[in-house]
Amino acid sequence: MKTSPLVPLVATAGALLLAGCASTQTTYVPQGSSRLVTSVGKVNIQDFEQAADDMVKSLTDNLISPGKLQSSVPSEPSLMAISRIVNSTGQQLETDLLTKKIRVALNRTGLVQTSTTIGIGGAEDPIAADQQKAQEFFEDKKHTRLPDYTLSGKIIEVKDKAGNIHQSSYVFQLSLTSNKGVAVWEEEKTITKQGSRATVGF
Amino acid sequence: MKKLNSLLLAGAAACVLLPGCTTVNTLEPAQPVAQRDMLADKRVITDSTLNRRARILGVNQSTSPAGFLKIQVEIQNTTSRPQAFTYRVEWFDENGMIIELPTRTAQPRTMEGKETISITATAPTPRAKDFRIKFLEPTN
Repeated sequence: MKTSPLVPLVATAGALLLAGCASTQTTYVPQGSSRLVTSVGKVNIQDFEQAADDMVKSLTDNLISPGKLQSSVPSEPSLMAISRIVNSTGQQLETDLLTKKIRVALNRTGLVQTSTTIGIGGAEDPIAADQQKAQEFFEDKKHTRLPDYTLSGKIIEVKDKAGNIHQSSYVFQLSLTSNKGVAVWEEEKTITKQGSRATVGF
Repeated sequence: MKKLNSLLLAGAAACVLLPGCTTVNTLEPAQPVAQRDMLADKRVITDSTLNRRARILGVNQSTSPAGFLKIQVEIQNTTSRPQAFTYRVEWFDENGMIIELPTRTAQPRTMEGKETISITATAPTPRAKDFRIKFLEPTN
């Protein structure tokens, strides 16, 4: 069989052009972009954002917007403390990726503030806690305001596989408990991902 | 003409046989009790394919006693196949300035063929007076 001398030339040119398309250059991806890397067996940054977004929406719809939120100090925003967020997945997760977004969103409503001196395993801000104690000592008066609400929760992972298809579900459960020990708000958000390998985009 | 008929028949048969062609049957009251406050909206369509997959039927809004704006967008998948899209809501204050949020993720949604869904969004603060919704095609 006789092949044209142009065939290897065209093939080489094609390979060079295609290599140019598959760029390995590092690029910035804006927050919330749909071009973020998505992994099936892992909680990605956008999963935390999605869960936090839904939690904030549910809190706003069911507690804040109907005016059910209460504050022990009239004319001041409600005070919330972050309790335990249990990680029941097989991965090491930074639960602040979930709670911080919720805290920021609630803070911006102007109706909820978070305590940084009361928390599981000690104060989040030790200097603020020491300052508060010193002030109480010198003035001989209690300044500590107890939280009106505490936020607790759990992150659960459920994995499944059928043939080449891997499926991971991440269940985000949160509860807001009043200082009377009653869960005044509860929400659950499940994020399920399917795929055979890590992909880009949702 | 005969060729066209054959093609249409083949298309219909494929739609029935292929598992991807699942459409939704719905039932609702002929005269709904709820009165919706429908908004006159302004649309900028740059992706007509996405517009077929997720056609915006209308937007209605309400405001809670605490002043939080809530919107609901009705979207229909005009194709016969399941479709995915993502959306993101931006909120603006009374001066038209965007309200920055800690969560700006594009929310993914899927719809069955011919399905109509409602997506809702609540303003993050009573300061939010306007909104803009962006619809995007998933990249994979």
